[in-house]
Amino acid sequence: MSETRQIFTLKQVVSSIRKTLEERYQQLYWVKAEMHKLNRFPSGHAFPELVQKEDDRIVAQIGATIWSQNLLRIQKQFAEIVKEPLKEGTTLLMQVKIVFHETYGLSLQVIDIDPSYSLGELQKERQETLKKLQAEGILNKNQFLDFPLLPKRVAVISADQSKGLSDFMQVLDQNSRGYRFFTMLFPAYLQGDMAVASIQEQLRKIERVKQHFDVVVIVRGGGGEVGMSCYNNFALCKAIATFPLPILTGIGHSTNMTVAEMVAFRNAITPTELADFLLEAFDAFAVPVLNAQDQISSGSRQLLEKTQLHFGNETRLFRNAVRRCSEANKNQLHKISDAYRSNAQGMVRRHRQLMDFSSKELSRATRLVIEQGKEGVKRVPDSLKQRTNLTLANALNLVIQKENLVRLMDPVNVLRRGYSITTVNGHTVNAASELEDGTVIKTQAFDLEIESTVIKKKTYGK
Amino acid sequence: MENEMTYTAAFDELQQIVADMEDGEITVDDLAVKVKRAAELIKICKQKLTSTEEDVNAILKELEG
Repeated sequence: MSETRQIFTLKQVVSSIRKTLEERYQQLYWVKAEMHKLNRFPSGHAFPELVQKEDDRIVAQIGATIWSQNLLRIQKQFAEIVKEPLKEGTTLLMQVKIVFHETYGLSLQVIDIDPSYSLGELQKERQETLKKLQAEGILNKNQFLDFPLLPKRVAVISADQSKGLSDFMQVLDQNSRGYRFFTMLFPAYLQGDMAVASIQEQLRKIERVKQHFDVVVIVRGGGGEVGMSCYNNFALCKAIATFPLPILTGIGHSTNMTVAEMVAFRNAITPTELADFLLEAFDAFAVPVLNAQDQISSGSRQLLEKTQLHFGNETRLFRNAVRRCSEANKNQLHKISDAYRSNAQGMVRRHRQLMDFSSKELSRATRLVIEQGKEGVKRVPDSLKQRTNLTLANALNLVIQKENLVRLMDPVNVLRRGYSITTVNGHTVNAASELEDGTVIKTQAFDLEIESTVIKKKTYGK
Repeated sequence: MENEMTYTAAFDELQQIVADMEDGEITVDDLAVKVKRAAELIKICKQKLTSTEEDVNAILKELEG
C-alpha cells in the first residue's frame, strides 16, 4: 500500500469546486421556480427556499440568496407593476447566478425577478376565477338579487380605524337630509394574504344574522394599492357572488377591476362614492315621497277648482237654458192664445150668422107649411069620402079570396082528399133524403100513421 | 296595524294614489279619504328614512348564541 496519497485541505477542495462551478456557470440564467418561503433576515437579506413541485411533490429544491439591495429593487418593481408584494408560495421567473461559497455552499443568487411573469400569473388566476364562476353559473347571482327600497341596515366589512371606513361613515352620518342608517362593523383584513380567509369569515357571520341587514358593504381605502389580488381569489369571489344579500364594494384602487368587484351587486370606486350611492337610494325613496305630498295637495286643489268651475259653468248653462225655454214657451203660449181668440171670434160670428139665417128660414118655411096645410085641409072632405068607400070594398073582396085559399091549403083538407105525407126522422121525404134499404120511414094519412122500411128506392130525374 | 306596514308597501300605495290622482281617477267623492290615507303613508315613509330599529348588542348576542 505504498500508494502516494495526495491530500487536500477542505478549503482546496471547496475552492476547486467553486472554481469549477464558476468556470462552468459564468452566465446568468432565467429560472422558473416556486418561492417556498422568503425567509428574510433582519439584515435585509433574504434566503428563500426555491422548489419545483410535480403533483404537489417536491422534485427539486435549492436555497437562494437575495441581497438586500436586489430585494428592495425587486419589491419596488413588483409594487409598481404587479401591485402585489412578493408572495410566498407563488411561481416566479428569476434571473439567477449559480454561486458556490466556501462556507455557505451552493446556492442560487437571485439578481432579478420578472414582474411581468408574475403579473401574467395573476391575470391567469383572475381569468380562471372568472371562468369557474361562469361555469358554475353564479357570475351574476348577487346582481340578480332585489335591491331593498331603502338600504337602511348596513353590514360593513372593513378594517377598523381605516381611512376607507371613516370616509364611508362620514358621508353616511353627515348627510344633510337627516337620513339615518344602522351600520355594524365586521372587521377584516382587506388586502394581502390574510384577506381571503378574513373576509370570508365575516361573510359567514353576517349570513347568520342576515335578517338584521339589508346590504353588505366591503370598504377599503388608504392602505396602498398592493395586495389586491385576494379579490380575484375564487373562493372569496364565490362567497360574494352567492351571498344572500346584495354586496357592494368600494375598495378604492386604480388598477383593473377585480373579480370580486365584478360579481358584487354594485361596485363603487371609493368608499365615499359607495356611501353616496346609498344616499341616492334613500333619495330615490324620499324624493317621490316628498313629491307625493306636493302632488297630492296640488292635485286636490286642482280637482276642487275644476269641480267648482265645472259646477259654476253648469249652473250658468242651466240658468240660461231655463230662461230660453220659458221665453220660448211664453211666446208660443201667446201665439196659441191669439190663434184661439181669433178662431173663437170667427166661429162665434159664423154661427151667429148661420143662426140668424136659420131662424129666418124656419119661420118662412113654417108659414109656408101652415098655408099649404090650410089649403089641403079645405080640399080633404069630398075626396076622402069617395076614396074610403072604394078602398073598404076592395079590401073585403081580398079577404074573402085569401080565406078560401087558406082553407084549401090546410094539410088536414089535403089528407082528407086521400094524400099522405112520408117522413124520415121527422123530415119530409124527397130525393135529397138519405134513404137506404132498411131505413124506417113514417107515413101520415088522414086518420092513420104507418111505419115501414124501405125495400127499394128509385129517384126521378127532373 | 299601521306600524306593521312595511315601508315598501307604504311607498307603493302612496305612488298608486299619486298616479291615480294624475290620471284623474280620483273623484271629489273619495278625495278626502284618499288624501287622509296619503298623509298617513307619507308619515310612515318619512319615519323610515330617519329612524333605525336594529340593536348591535342584540345582533352580537345572536352571533354568540
